[in-house]
Amino acid sequence: MDILIYGTINSVSLALYALGFALVYGTSRLPNFAHGALYVLAGFITWSFLNSLGLPYPLAIVLAILVTGVIGALIYQFILVRVRGMEISEIIASYALGLAILEGLRWGGFKGMSYTLPVFIEGSFSVAGISVDYQRLLVVVIGAAVVALLWLFTHFTRIGLALRGMAQDERAAMMLGIDSDRMAVVAMGFGSGLAALAAILLLPLGNIVVESGYNILILAIAVCIVGGLGSWMGAVLAAFLIGFAQILTVVYLGTHYQMVVALLAIILTLILKPSGLFGRQKELEERV
Amino acid sequence: MKTRHWTLLVIILALAVLLAPGSRALAQKPIIIGCPLSTAYVYGWDAERAVTLAVEEINAKGGVKVGGQMRPFKIEVLDTRDLEPGVPVSEALLAVEKLILDKKAKFLIGGPVRSEAALAAMPLISKYKVVTIVTTGVLSPKYHAMVAKKYDKYKYCFRIHGEAKWLIKEILTCLLEIKQKYGLDKVFIMVQDVAHARTAGKILKKVAAKKGFDITGLEIYPTGTTDFSMGLVKAKKTGSQILSLWMDMPESAILLKQWYDMKIPALPFGSTLAAAEQPGFWKATGGKGAYCLANVVNAGNAPSEATPWTMKFYNAYAKRWGVPPEGLGCSSSYMAVYVLKDAIERAGSLDPDKVVAAMEKTDIMGVYGRLRFDPKSHQVIPSFDPKDGAVGSIVQWQDGKRVVVFPKSIAKGQIELPPWMKK
Repeated sequence: MDILIYGTINSVSLALYALGFALVYGTSRLPNFAHGALYVLAGFITWSFLNSLGLPYPLAIVLAILVTGVIGALIYQFILVRVRGMEISEIIASYALGLAILEGLRWGGFKGMSYTLPVFIEGSFSVAGISVDYQRLLVVVIGAAVVALLWLFTHFTRIGLALRGMAQDERAAMMLGIDSDRMAVVAMGFGSGLAALAAILLLPLGNIVVESGYNILILAIAVCIVGGLGSWMGAVLAAFLIGFAQILTVVYLGTHYQMVVALLAIILTLILKPSGLFGRQKELEERV
Repeated sequence: MKTRHWTLLVIILALAVLLAPGSRALAQKPIIIGCPLSTAYVYGWDAERAVTLAVEEINAKGGVKVGGQMRPFKIEVLDTRDLEPGVPVSEALLAVEKLILDKKAKFLIGGPVRSEAALAAMPLISKYKVVTIVTTGVLSPKYHAMVAKKYDKYKYCFRIHGEAKWLIKEILTCLLEIKQKYGLDKVFIMVQDVAHARTAGKILKKVAAKKGFDITGLEIYPTGTTDFSMGLVKAKKTGSQILSLWMDMPESAILLKQWYDMKIPALPFGSTLAAAEQPGFWKATGGKGAYCLANVVNAGNAPSEATPWTMKFYNAYAKRWGVPPEGLGCSSSYMAVYVLKDAIERAGSLDPDKVVAAMEKTDIMGVYGRLRFDPKSHQVIPSFDPKDGAVGSIVQWQDGKRVVVFPKSIAKGQIELPPWMKK
């Protein structure tokens, strides 16, 4: 039972880390290597709204998601648009931006272990003798809601359909009047907003530290590669595979192998099925 | 006429400043102390602050007397980044070499902070013959064992704070007190996957078992782990009553929050538990760090009256930096500067071999007790009594405060159990 409960929590956490990255790559083929940095930045923005400006927590959350989303959109509009289509340059530029954000935060004095966000609901409950706190329950509930809303958004709204159109065939979508760059801005905005949402949900469980930005990026990439780059549903499935694999590793092999799981998953995927579980477009390329 | 008066006044003031004893020292060539520290982490910046404070105090009193001349100290800090996950040891070595060759450091105080990096830096230190006092992190017993083994090569290396073996002795003695008082004897060990913690975990497992403790598990966590739930579930299932934690990573705060949320009936007892050492820990965990015990290595890093100098230092640090001493590297880094000053003055020279000889004869009453080095291993001589040696401190978080609960000679309170552990 404990494996099921904490495996689910771990998996949903991984899915939340990765959804923003998957959405951006899926729609605009843009590998946003600043994703982990935006996650940490969102944590510090929320903290600042809460502690420096004294805003109410719900307002601080909404504003932090919006601000991070806008920052993501601006990153595309002013920087990444210039290297669009040049994959290596996109990776270098976004990674450099991520580094600049993280090191900038550290330079600005955001270091140490005393930055934290309050949990939404205090307390814990017990399932079959296993104690779970309400914040983790919320992570699972909100995580599931985010996946459902993302599906509805991409299937029933004009912007969502345009994003899917871009994901399926960018040239065809442009021929139908969809502005590729505008959609990429929207995707970056949404992706960054999702990174912020993940941060706000998960950071109250621990503390906000600059270094976690690199870990988040690695985990997001691992999930997306296993799930198939570009497929956010694949990312959700991969999050569950890696999440449960991590928990089973902890239980049966030892805690110190836990971090190896994500990296091993990348290596195995690249050897056995480079397109990942749901990377259809890449799979076609592989067949050709 | 008025202009003449003003000119005369300015000349007199300038002469007065130049001829004052303190400024004469400042006019002399400064003695450069290099501080290789992982400055983004508490064990780095606390040491930097403590060294700065000591240097400011010493310089304000005229500096260091070297061969009849008063010379000021000057510090040069370089970030070794050795506490950051994934940063190779070579980064720290580059920082050490740069301090020696580029910044012309005559002495090194501080780190590298991570044991792996400090051990790797030892050959470099002996190559350049730079007297080095490690003051923060570096808990591996191998450090002073290497000095003892190859004295002629590594004699320039000193350590002024407690090391893992001594910390284990302190922890074990404290655990025996807890066992005697509350009957808790089932220990679950959770350590970070770094040299000092792995070694300490293994030693503790062996030694505690010999002392009659039931070791219910030993888990090793990679640096950066963000979920400890399964380990805590394991601890609960095995009926563990004490969690022995050896982690300096920031994520240890997650562990303590999870412990509180899951109401694990085991008392958390941390060593190098950086998160729990800092004064801001209570606020950062929203009080969920209550009852957590933490070994802050030396007295003076938490309020106590180990010696008359302890609270003087504690208050001076708090006044200078607006926050009380923050981690295990504070009082030791502060004292290292005073010990170096004392040794230089007795040696009457900056010659490394003469300073080493003087350092070996160090015997001063410092912030955390009597400070002497073992002449063979250059490890500070520890004790449970500040009158005999360097005394440690184990604190417990009670009502938002760090209360020193061990050793008895300096304790300010008793160990308490969380409400869900009380029978």
